[in-house]
Amino acid sequence: MGLLDLIRKLKSSQDKELRILLLGLDNAGKTTLLKKLASEDVSHITPTQGFNIKSVVSSGFKLNVWDIGGQRKIRPYWRNYFENTDVLIYVIDSADQKRFEETGLELSELLEEPKLQGVPLLIYANKQDLLQAAQASEIARGLSLDTIRDRKWHIQACSAQSGEGIKEGIDWMSTVVGKKK
Amino acid sequence: MPAKAEDIMKGFKLNWMNLRDADNGKILWQSSDDLSAPGQDHEARVPKKILKCRAVSREINFSSKEAMDKFRLEQRVLFKGKCLEEWFFEFGFVIPGSTNTWQSVIEAAPESQMMPANVLTGNVIIETHFFDGDLLVSKSKVKIFYV
Repeated sequence: MGLLDLIRKLKSSQDKELRILLLGLDNAGKTTLLKKLASEDVSHITPTQGFNIKSVVSSGFKLNVWDIGGQRKIRPYWRNYFENTDVLIYVIDSADQKRFEETGLELSELLEEPKLQGVPLLIYANKQDLLQAAQASEIARGLSLDTIRDRKWHIQACSAQSGEGIKEGIDWMSTVVGKKK
Repeated sequence: MPAKAEDIMKGFKLNWMNLRDADNGKILWQSSDDLSAPGQDHEARVPKKILKCRAVSREINFSSKEAMDKFRLEQRVLFKGKCLEEWFFEFGFVIPGSTNTWQSVIEAAPESQMMPANVLTGNVIIETHFFDGDLLVSKSKVKIFYV
């Protein structure tokens, strides 16, 4: 995949612009996922100390993907980036079971944000290439995703490192964009 | 209290810039010198084959010591001073003490409309202006040579 393939998939007739927000704890794999979407090398990725944005334009349609750092000291700034979000992608390190509670708390706070109300949620259960990774279904149960009633959501197992599963998540996203509200 | 203009400008640094083939993400050129050196034009020697790419991405990396509320940039690609392409991008908030990247991808003109490397070389400039609201925070000029 490359960014041009991504924009072709997500292009909708209703909107001129699409804003995707990538959040999750530090070391969840947000930047790796973002770079993988752009077919870039993912072997040297350092913690994000701010944001990484990718902007693509194709035949008048604009796609902006915002990846915001997940370190504890940066999380209070997340709220500055909520406005006009069309899809929220939340990335979880499926192998870091010690932090499931922490990631669950952050996610539930996001789901209560008025500015993110009704915004479709795609959860990537990342790092499935690691032996100790929990299955997506287990994570979904742990986070009680089935209690989410106010938005469309989907959980997708993936490995941002190998690329496996990313496409399936994008396919889900393409079914919800342009059809919300 | 909002940061003063002078502090914002002093605390801003353009760290690097690169150009990639957007199809495979491979870096075709990456800046080595300090891009933020003020009042200096920078030069990029880019392999000619970049003109054959279906799409090229431009990526910039910058740091800011101060928070900014209305950060935005204007980027123009000029050929002999004439604007071929322009991007206006609104970042909005910039986290104090942050380092950030922005990458833009645009499809190339059809090959039939593409000017040859020997016509373009030395005549193409990527000009980027960074603003916080109306305050010009920084600017950079990179002259492209196709080699």
